[in-house]
Amino acid sequence: MNILRWWWGLLLAFALVAIGRAFLPLPFANEVLIFSIYTMGCNYLLGRVGFISFGQPAYLATGAYGAGFYLFYFGNNPYLGLLMGIAAGIVVSLIIGPLFVRLRGDYFALVNLALAVIIFYLMQKVLADITHGDNGLWYLTSLTSTPILDLTRPDQFFIFAFLVAFALWAFYKYLDDSIFGALCLATKINEDKVKFLGYSSFGIRLFAFVIANTTTALAGAMYAVYLGFVSPAITGPDRAADPVVVTILGGVGTLYGPLVGSVVYTGMKDVLSKIIGNWELVIGFLLVFIMLAGEKGIWGSLAPLLQKLFTRDGKAPDRGGSR
Amino acid sequence: MSSRDEILAVAGLNAAYGESKVLFDVSVDVSRNQVVACVGRNGAGKSTLLKTIAGFLKPTSGTITSDGENLVAKPAFAIAGMGIKYIPQDKKVFSDLTVRENLELGSYASQDYDWVPVFDYFPKLKILMDRKAGYLSGGERQMLMIGRAILGRPKMLLVDEPTEGLAPSIVMHLRDVFKELAKKTALVIVEQNLPLVCAIADKIYAMREGRIVAELKERASIKPEMCEQYL
Amino acid sequence: MNTQLLISGIIFGLSLGGIFFLMSIGLSLCFGLMRIISLDQLLYYSVGAYLTYTIGLLVGDVWLGVIGGVVVAAIVSLLVERVVFRRIYERDLPFTMITSFGVLVGGVGVIKYFWGLIPRPVPVPIAAQVDIIGTDIPVYRLVIIGVAVLVYLGIWLFLNRTIIGKAIRAGTEDCEHVEGLGINVYRLFTITFIIAGGLSGLAGGLYAPLIMVDPQMGLEVLAFIFMVVIIGGLGSIKGTLISSLLVGQVVSLGSLIYAPLAQMAPFAVMLLILLVKPTGLFGSALQKR
Repeated sequence: MNILRWWWGLLLAFALVAIGRAFLPLPFANEVLIFSIYTMGCNYLLGRVGFISFGQPAYLATGAYGAGFYLFYFGNNPYLGLLMGIAAGIVVSLIIGPLFVRLRGDYFALVNLALAVIIFYLMQKVLADITHGDNGLWYLTSLTSTPILDLTRPDQFFIFAFLVAFALWAFYKYLDDSIFGALCLATKINEDKVKFLGYSSFGIRLFAFVIANTTTALAGAMYAVYLGFVSPAITGPDRAADPVVVTILGGVGTLYGPLVGSVVYTGMKDVLSKIIGNWELVIGFLLVFIMLAGEKGIWGSLAPLLQKLFTRDGKAPDRGGSR
Repeated sequence: MSSRDEILAVAGLNAAYGESKVLFDVSVDVSRNQVVACVGRNGAGKSTLLKTIAGFLKPTSGTITSDGENLVAKPAFAIAGMGIKYIPQDKKVFSDLTVRENLELGSYASQDYDWVPVFDYFPKLKILMDRKAGYLSGGERQMLMIGRAILGRPKMLLVDEPTEGLAPSIVMHLRDVFKELAKKTALVIVEQNLPLVCAIADKIYAMREGRIVAELKERASIKPEMCEQYL
Repeated sequence: MNTQLLISGIIFGLSLGGIFFLMSIGLSLCFGLMRIISLDQLLYYSVGAYLTYTIGLLVGDVWLGVIGGVVVAAIVSLLVERVVFRRIYERDLPFTMITSFGVLVGGVGVIKYFWGLIPRPVPVPIAAQVDIIGTDIPVYRLVIIGVAVLVYLGIWLFLNRTIIGKAIRAGTEDCEHVEGLGINVYRLFTITFIIAGGLSGLAGGLYAPLIMVDPQMGLEVLAFIFMVVIIGGLGSIKGTLISSLLVGQVVSLGSLIYAPLAQMAPFAVMLLILLVKPTGLFGSALQKR
């Protein structure tokens, strides 16, 4: 396949992010990047596998606490912290996956939410001895500088996050364009036919589950490193809405939806929370409004239009995973 | 055919399931107390036609009128309320409710609590009154479905493959029931059983791939061999 | 463990189960008939609680507050059904789930706007205690149990002895057939939705004196309600009753043994049951309407 055609969408999207960095405050840019990685997992689960999960905070917390425990108790290297977080994500997904993935869609959503609340309680109360409960674990000052890119410095963290996000996006795009991606979509649409073809829908779903939630755990670990602390608030029941809202806002199942959604959501939150303290009101009605208006989200509605534009110009349309 | 006699007029009907078009420019008409049959291979669009008339599928274009009223905009329950009852193919009754309760629902909907005609046609139902409908056989379910539907003295019944999968003795019984019903009710029957259909139908539409390909109105031409050449 | 503790633990668990039942019935009914997961029921729960607080404060009688809470909760659910759900009944499950979640979150925002963040206390309408086998039991808890039993009986009578109830049961099996008979199924949906909302409001109003009324209360209870509904199986009234009692006992008796774990024990129970029966104890396989 033509490499340039394959990559040009990605390059364009991330070039825009890089340009954006010049205009936007650093904390905002970092927050957007991490949040979009967080949303990516949810987006993939919902858009490609057909699973809605209200419990993504559970996996976010897994990654965050995985990294946090390591950085608080064992070592000082942020890179290792990240690895610990990812490892925690993989382990938890592999343990829980086989059970959750067999459930039908509505039970899956509810069960994941229950998991998020359970982890919240675990971290807040049950394991308070090692997690310090609501106070959280603080290790910001103890992090050591890392070679090449010093993760303790926000501007270099941004570069790191940027590279990670780019790699992830390339990975998801590759996945989507591969046989596995087609299988995921097929399983979502008609599970029986996929089984008739000889594939194990359970295996497909499990694999997708582990990938998506490990991505979420990675985001959690990045939060842990970036913020310098972890606390149970990261998985509070009120945060369950965030990834779902952003996924819908950006456009379910689209490749760039999480990016677009994160930018808009984080931006709105920053701006609006200064004007009105009551953020839930806006999220809630926004969500309902989007669903009633057609559920395509921002990128979901824009993408087909852009595709038409580019095809007329003679350039190859970017398949970008958009439906 | 005077328009006073006509109780259903479908003209230029087009329908689709999502992106795939199923009915193309279909036009049929049915007169009072007439038995109209619709034959065709599987997938020809016969069930879809009935569903659309009954209001369970919104057509993309075309008109459906009955006694001066336009059916296209109406919800399915309103069309049933007008006296046009749809009996689907799936032989499903409300299994957790008894036969009696199934009929009660039919009576509640139509405000007709006279079950005598139902038992005239289907005496067996009287014996099964307190049995949960889930335990009925296929033939008994079909009887219950029809019995439920005739409450309220409908002016037209849309029946989808009533004899499919039923024993020959029950098929005979149904044939006689339809003949009796036809004296007071128009019937539009979708069927694969050609001999049955030719025995009772006044008019036959043959469908293929979503279109009407033939309309057989003469007594003489209503024979299984004639139908087959259009399938 | 001494008997007194055990007895009060069991009663406590029964009253908790009663509250769970009142809330889960709504979710179960809405799913059975309309094939939607109405997460906004938790909003009507909060509405019931908050109205109980406000009306109780204004009038001086908590019971009137509870009645007011139920009425307002039912009205709000009617509005939501009309404005939101009417348009989306034929959409698929994730869609309606997300939308109902949006309603829940937005509604919580509205509550925050009017009542603020500070938790509100509601006085217990019956302070008396009664002696049962040597243990002092608050009468109020027994009242809750009584109400839950009455509601169960009422629902049973409604579904089995009234024609509308039978129509709803029929609709749970096949909505198209019900409509084909000529019954206005959309009216059935509305009735079911209002009943669900009212019952959720009742749960909130009854529970309010036992907990602090705060904006997040719906979200806090969310996980437990989910577990009840999943264990019992969506769509089954009997299953909901059994699993509410079960979860109530697990939480109550569990907290006597080891408090923090009590919150997580239902989760473990749920996982165990799902391993064996992925649709819950009495759940039916998911069918598209």
